[in-house]
Amino acid sequence: MHHPPRFALKFLKWFSPPELYEGIEGDLLEQFESDIKELGEKKAKRRFAWNVLKFFRPGIFLRNRFSTEIINTIMIGNYFKVATRNIAKRKLYSFINAIGLSIGIAFCVLIYLYIEDEKSFDRFHINKDHIYRLNEASYSVYAEQRGEDPVRKSAYLPLPLGNVLKDEVPEVQHLTRFRGGQAVFRYGEKVFNEGLTYVEADFFRMFSFPLLAGSAEHLFNDKHEIVLTPEIAEKYFGQEDPVGKVVTLDLEGEKQFTVTGIIESPPANSSLSFKILVPLENSRGYERSREQWSNFSWPTFIQLYPDAGIANLKVKADTLVKKHMGETLESWRKEANIPAEFPVFELTYTNLVDIHLDTEVGWDKRSDPKYSWILGGIALLIIVIACINYISLALTTSASRKIEVGIRKVVGAHRKQLVWQFGLESLMLAVISMFTGLVLAVFFLPAFNEFTGKGIALTSFNMAQVAGASLGITLVVGLLAGSYPALFLSGFLPVTVLKGGFTSKLKAGFTKPLVVFQFFLSASMIICSIIMYRQMEFIATKDLGYDKEHVLVISTQTGWSEEADRVVEQFRNKMSSEPSVVSVAGTSSSFSRGWSHYGYKIKDENKSAYVYRVDPEYISLLSLTLKEGRNFDERMATDSTTVIINEALARDMGWDNPLEEHLNWREDTVGLGAQVIGVLSDYHFLSLNNNIEPMFLSMDKKNTGYLTTMLVKLSPGDIPQKIEKVKSAWAELYPDKPFDYSFMDEDVAKQYNSYKRWMSITALSTGFAIFIACLGLFGLAGINAVNRTKEIGIRKVMGAELSHIFVLLNKQFVWLAIIAFLLAAPLSWYFMNKWLASFKYAIHVGWELFAGSMLLGLALALLTVSYHAIKAALINPADTLKYE
Amino acid sequence: MSKEYLGEFEELVLTMVGILGEEAYGNAIVNEIKDRLGRDVNLSAVHVTLYRLEDKGHVKSRMGGATNARGGRRKRIFTITNAGLAMLKAMKEARVDLWKLIPQLKISGT
Repeated sequence: MHHPPRFALKFLKWFSPPELYEGIEGDLLEQFESDIKELGEKKAKRRFAWNVLKFFRPGIFLRNRFSTEIINTIMIGNYFKVATRNIAKRKLYSFINAIGLSIGIAFCVLIYLYIEDEKSFDRFHINKDHIYRLNEASYSVYAEQRGEDPVRKSAYLPLPLGNVLKDEVPEVQHLTRFRGGQAVFRYGEKVFNEGLTYVEADFFRMFSFPLLAGSAEHLFNDKHEIVLTPEIAEKYFGQEDPVGKVVTLDLEGEKQFTVTGIIESPPANSSLSFKILVPLENSRGYERSREQWSNFSWPTFIQLYPDAGIANLKVKADTLVKKHMGETLESWRKEANIPAEFPVFELTYTNLVDIHLDTEVGWDKRSDPKYSWILGGIALLIIVIACINYISLALTTSASRKIEVGIRKVVGAHRKQLVWQFGLESLMLAVISMFTGLVLAVFFLPAFNEFTGKGIALTSFNMAQVAGASLGITLVVGLLAGSYPALFLSGFLPVTVLKGGFTSKLKAGFTKPLVVFQFFLSASMIICSIIMYRQMEFIATKDLGYDKEHVLVISTQTGWSEEADRVVEQFRNKMSSEPSVVSVAGTSSSFSRGWSHYGYKIKDENKSAYVYRVDPEYISLLSLTLKEGRNFDERMATDSTTVIINEALARDMGWDNPLEEHLNWREDTVGLGAQVIGVLSDYHFLSLNNNIEPMFLSMDKKNTGYLTTMLVKLSPGDIPQKIEKVKSAWAELYPDKPFDYSFMDEDVAKQYNSYKRWMSITALSTGFAIFIACLGLFGLAGINAVNRTKEIGIRKVMGAELSHIFVLLNKQFVWLAIIAFLLAAPLSWYFMNKWLASFKYAIHVGWELFAGSMLLGLALALLTVSYHAIKAALINPADTLKYE
Repeated sequence: MSKEYLGEFEELVLTMVGILGEEAYGNAIVNEIKDRLGRDVNLSAVHVTLYRLEDKGHVKSRMGGATNARGGRRKRIFTITNAGLAMLKAMKEARVDLWKLIPQLKISGT
C-alpha cells in the first residue's frame, strides 16, 4: 500500500470545505492509485501534490466561506428573534442582569471622565510646554519635629525675584505673578464683596484664555485697568457694554478702575481660576515688598523662549538667588540650625501641565494622582464583578434552554452557530445595558461633580470618547460574559438532552469566593456608613455650649480698621428699637470663620491661647455661661485690657482662683499683664475635630483687633422677613457697602461638609455594593437551586416540609454571609477608628453596632436567596422526576 | 431559460454526468472525457465545474456508499437534474437550428 504525501493531504484538509473534502480526497486518492500503476510511485506522489495544489483555487476554498455566511446571515434574524423572546420571557432576570451591568458601566464611564478630566488640566494653553511655575523648597523645622519630610515646597516667592529674573535672564520671555485677594467691588448701586486676582501684563500673552474684548498686547499697561469675566460683567452691567466703564474697588481706600478687557472664564480644568483680573501693582503690600527678599507671598509663572532650555535657566536663576539672598540664607541657616544637607531656599520648577497633579506644592484644585489610580482600580473591579455576576445569572437560565439547544443541534446547528447565538444574545443585553448605563451616567454626572468637586461637562468631544469607550467595554463584557454560557450550553449532546431527565451540574465554583468577597465589601460598607451616620448625627445634635440658633453673621465690610467698631455701634443703635432683633454684638471673627491664635512665654514656658476680640454683648448673645466673675463693662476704662478666660485656660495655667490671676500674654516685662475678670464654662468655639483649647475674650482693640464681624440675634419665627428688615436697615446706614450674611448654625455645620460629602459617597457606594452583592448571591442561589432540582423533588416525595427545603437551600448562603461579616468587622472597625480619631468628640463604637449591621446584612442575603429557594421548593416533584 | 448559458467545458461536464448516470463522480468524468475525446482535463477543474453546475441547479450530488477502494473514501455522485437535462437539450437544439442555417458546404479535401 502506497501513501500519498501527508503534507499534501493536510494542506487539502486545511483549505477545502468540510462538506466537499471527502469527495475530493477520494477522487485524488483514486487517481493516485492509478498513477502508481501507470507512472510509478515517485511520479505519482509528485503528481498528487501538484493536483492538490491545483485544487487550491477560489472556487474551492472560498466556497464554504460564502455558503456559511449565507447561513449565518439567515440565522442572525432568528437569533435576534429568539433573543428578544428570551429577554421578554425572563423579564426579572433580564432586568436584574441588565441593570447590574448598566450600573457598572455608568460607574466606569464616570470614573473614566474623572480620570480624563484630571489628565486634561491646563492642556489647553498653546504655550503650555514653555510655561513653568516657580517653587521654593526649604527646610522646615516643624515638619522635621513631626517626623515628616523636612523639605517643604511652596509656590510663594519673594516679589523682587521675579523682577530680576525677567530683567537679567535672557531665557525668560514672559513673566507674571498670580496672586489672589478680595475687595468690595462697586458699580452704581451694586456693591458686592468679590475675589480678585492680581496679575501682570504678560499674563495675557502667556496663557490661552480667550479675550472677548481688549488686546493682549495692550492690556494692563496702566495700573488702573481691570479685566472681567463675562459673568462678572453681566452681574454689574447687565446687557450694557462693559468696556470703558469705571468701577470702584476698595483696596486700602477706594480706587477707580476702567474696564479695558473681557476675558473668558477659565474652564473647570484650569489650575488658574479667576473672575476679576487687576494689575499686580494694586496688590496689598506691593510697594513694601518690592525690595523685600524675605517676604514669601508672590506666586510666579515664567514662560521661556521655545528654544531655551530649563537647565540654562536653573543655573542662571540659582546664581541670582545666591547674589541677592546668599547672606540672608546663610544667617537663616545658622539661626534655625538647618543641617547642611538640606536647602534653606532652593528654586524648583513645575511645568504648567504638571501643576494639577503635583502633590508637593499646595495649589488651587490640586489633586493626588493616587485618586485616579484608586478609582481606575475600582472601575476595573466593578467591571470584573459585573461580568462574573452576569455569567452566573446567565447560567441559571441556561438550564431551561437545554431542550432548545438539543433541538437546534438535531435540526443541524453547528456548535459554532450556537456559540454565536448565545454570544449575540448576551451582546444584545449588554448593548441595552450600555445605553441604560450611559443614560445613568449623564443623569448622575451633576451629583458626581458635586462629590468630586469637579466641573465635568459633557461636550460632543468627550461624549464621543465616552461612547467609544463604553462600546469597547460593552463588547468585551458581552463577549466575555456570553462566552462561558455559550460554550457550556453548546456542548450538550442532543441525545441526552432530548431523551429527557437530563440533569447537569452547573459548574460555577468561581462564584462562591466572589460572593463572599462582594458580601465582605458590602458588609464593611454597611458598618462604615452606620458609624459615619451615627457620628454625623452626634455632631449635629451635640450641645456646643453656646446658642447658635437664629444668629446672623454679618461682615462689617470695613477691613482692619477702627471703623469696624463704629459700624457695630451704629447698627446696634439702629436696631435697638427693632423688636425682631434680640441683640447685636461684635467680634473679631465668628465660629468656623477663622481665629487668632497667640503664642507667648510665661515663666519660660511656651503657652498659647485662642483670642477673640468681643464687646460686652457677646456673652449674652451667645448665651455663654459665666462660671465666675463678671462680664466686660464699657464704662470701666480698665476693661480695655482685662480678659475673660475659659476653663481650659485656667486648667492649662494651673490656676485655682483665676479671678486673682493675671494673664501676661503680651509678655509685659513691667506690669503683671491682663487681669482676669471672668471665667466662662467651656464651649466648642472650634470644630469637634479639636479639643476645647485655652481661649480668652478681650476688648483690647490695639492688640486683639477690631469687630470685623457682627452677630445679630433674631427672635424665633418668620426668619426671612426679619432678615429683610435687617437688610434694609443696613442699606439705609451703608448704601455703598454690600450686605453679606450667613447663619451661624450653618457656618458651624459647614465645618463638617467634607465629612458629609464622604458620608454621602459612602452611603451611595454602600447601596451599590449591597446591590452588586445581592446580584451575585441571587445568581449563585439560582445555580444552586437548579443543581438541586432533582434532589428537592426526591426529598418532597419522601415527605420533606417546605420549610425544610427552604432551610436546606439557604443554609450555605447564611454561612457565606457570616464568613463575609467576620472578615469585614475587624477591617471596618480599624478604618472607622481611624476616621473617628480625627474627631476629638466621637461616638463609642460598640459590639451592638456590628451585630446590628450583621443582622441587616443577613436579612438582605436571606431576602435575596429566598426567591430561588421558594421557587425551587414549590416545584411539583412530578415535573422534575417524571422521566426517572 | 434564454439568459442561462453554459460554457463549453460546463456543457461537456454536464453531458458526461448525463452519460455516466449513477457512476458520475469527479474521477470517472475525467477518465470518460479522456476515453471518449482523448482530452486531458484537470480533476480540480472538473470539481469546480461540478460545484458550479450544482449551484446553478443543473446537477445534484449525494455521497455514494463507502468502498474499499480510494482509501475507504466515499464518492460524491452527481446526477443530472431535469433542469440540467432541459438545458442540454435546449443547447443542442439551438446548435442544430444554427447548423441547418449553414449552406451545405463540404469540408474541402474530403
